[in-house]
Amino acid sequence: MSVTQDAVSEEALFMERHFHILQEEQARLKMRLQELQQLKREFGNYSQVPFPVPEVPLVFQGHIQQGKEVPRSLVSNLQICYPLRGGSALVTFDDPKVAKQVLQQKEHKIDLEECHLRVQVQPLELPVVTTIQVSSQISRQRVLVSGFPAKLRLSEEELLDKLEIFFGKTKNGGGDVEIREMLHGAVMLGFAKDEVAQHLCQIGEFTVPLGGQQVPLKVSPYMSAEIQKAEIGSQPMSQSVLVLNIPDVLDGPEMHDILEIHFQKPTRGGGEVESLTFVPKGQRGLAVFTSESG
Amino acid sequence: MAAGKDNEKQVLKDWQDEEFMKDEQNQKLITEIAKENIRLSQEIENLEAELQETISSQIKEDIPETKMKFTSLESPENDSQFLNVSCSFQVMSPVPYELQKGEALITFEKEEVAQNVIRIQNHHVQINDVDLEVVAKPVPLKSGVSFQFHAEVSKIKINVTEIPDELPESQMRDKLELSFCKSRNGGGEVECVEYDKQARSAVITFVETGVVDNILKMKDYPLYINQNCHRVVVSPYIETHVKKFQIFSGISKRTVLLTGMEGLQMMDEEFIEDLVNIHFQREKNGGGEVDVVKCSLGQPHIAYFQ
Repeated sequence: MSVTQDAVSEEALFMERHFHILQEEQARLKMRLQELQQLKREFGNYSQVPFPVPEVPLVFQGHIQQGKEVPRSLVSNLQICYPLRGGSALVTFDDPKVAKQVLQQKEHKIDLEECHLRVQVQPLELPVVTTIQVSSQISRQRVLVSGFPAKLRLSEEELLDKLEIFFGKTKNGGGDVEIREMLHGAVMLGFAKDEVAQHLCQIGEFTVPLGGQQVPLKVSPYMSAEIQKAEIGSQPMSQSVLVLNIPDVLDGPEMHDILEIHFQKPTRGGGEVESLTFVPKGQRGLAVFTSESG
Repeated sequence: MAAGKDNEKQVLKDWQDEEFMKDEQNQKLITEIAKENIRLSQEIENLEAELQETISSQIKEDIPETKMKFTSLESPENDSQFLNVSCSFQVMSPVPYELQKGEALITFEKEEVAQNVIRIQNHHVQINDVDLEVVAKPVPLKSGVSFQFHAEVSKIKINVTEIPDELPESQMRDKLELSFCKSRNGGGEVECVEYDKQARSAVITFVETGVVDNILKMKDYPLYINQNCHRVVVSPYIETHVKKFQIFSGISKRTVLLTGMEGLQMMDEEFIEDLVNIHFQREKNGGGEVDVVKCSLGQPHIAYFQ
């Protein structure tokens, strides 16, 4: 054939290839479009999420919306942890007036047999969260793994490890796992790359070796949360006092008693002590506070 | 001979024209497909955005103030626990059910009783002169959300804002360190300074805990630049996280939905609730110990499940 003919047919081949590539791309796009349209249909009716979520048993206990009351979320397990340095103590009095009195003097002189100790006192304020705003949307990097059999004989840590190993392998369709979390009846896995999550969701079903068994698991999209707003206020602990810079001269239990004796003396401004916690020098403590109503 | 060559040329030309036509057609086809693909991609993008919006949800909560009480002394497991005051709690969004006119919710003490009532399905409630045919069904519940909220208030870092934009970055960083290490002003030894010149803000990390408490007693702090003293604003350095975020589907095991009471609009809700309660307490009616009954006769009510 002539040169022109070669050139022409090469161009034709190139075009054909280009044509096929575009056709393939179109097929992929159409499939993805169908997927999304299906999701939109399923989602249309109730505000149910169109992928598997664990079921949590709920009960109606008589709570009816009154008037214009906006539904309130249930807040539970409220806990505040306050670190205590070595050489400090937390004293809680029965009467907040006593605490106030004690705080009137910044420095206290504690009597020992032959000498006295100088310590500082400070009021205690705890940070409290007053308002939160959290938004959620489908995550590009995280997936939900579900379908675990009820009697799986694995500890939480073991299960998370095995899942991370399995879904960390590219041969299984996975990739580098960045974060993992145990949820109620499911596990969340977060990957370093977006495509991994999408790919795994497309495959959908996997058989994973867990505890000697081959377990069929489902992988679906995960809704992840972002904090839009959080306001923190403070709650003064009116009955409590922090004692700081306690010299390192006595044993833990001994110092505890000496402190308690001192702060119970009305002559020193003290009074009935509800509780006293002492952290000796060289140690670190964490004072745990929980909600009074439990 | 010449005619043959001419013929060849003509065939070649024809062939070239044909090829050219084919090329044009192919080119057209390719352009069409490419256009369609772009259109599809756009449609996909729009649908994805739409789905994101509909499926995404917002949770806005004012956390009620609860009195805190000292419970125990623990040992901090790591540096992070020791260097922050942490506040954490669990949040579970309410799952409402809109009770329509003529419907009632009944919660039994035992799950088996509730399931039995649903299995029997049709119940004939007859007390005094009230004659009702009610149908028992499981309650269709929507999904809710639960998560853990964590806030960590640092004991060694503070936020500094409203820093005047008067010096080059490196110099301002030094001025910040010098001012914040002055113990007479409440400061202490500085570990490091992160300064954002554009935002006019900085994060100062101190070596010792305790300095932060002193500084935060005041809302501002003196920053010395050459001969002048500026008051910069100080505030706590707080990090917040959400953990174990999960959507769950509510399933009611002990509460049953009763329908079929539309005809009772004129009656007193409490009266009917008592009747229903009595009927379903009786084992011979397939019932058992009843916790709560709520019905809606005149207007719909919104019931919350926990």
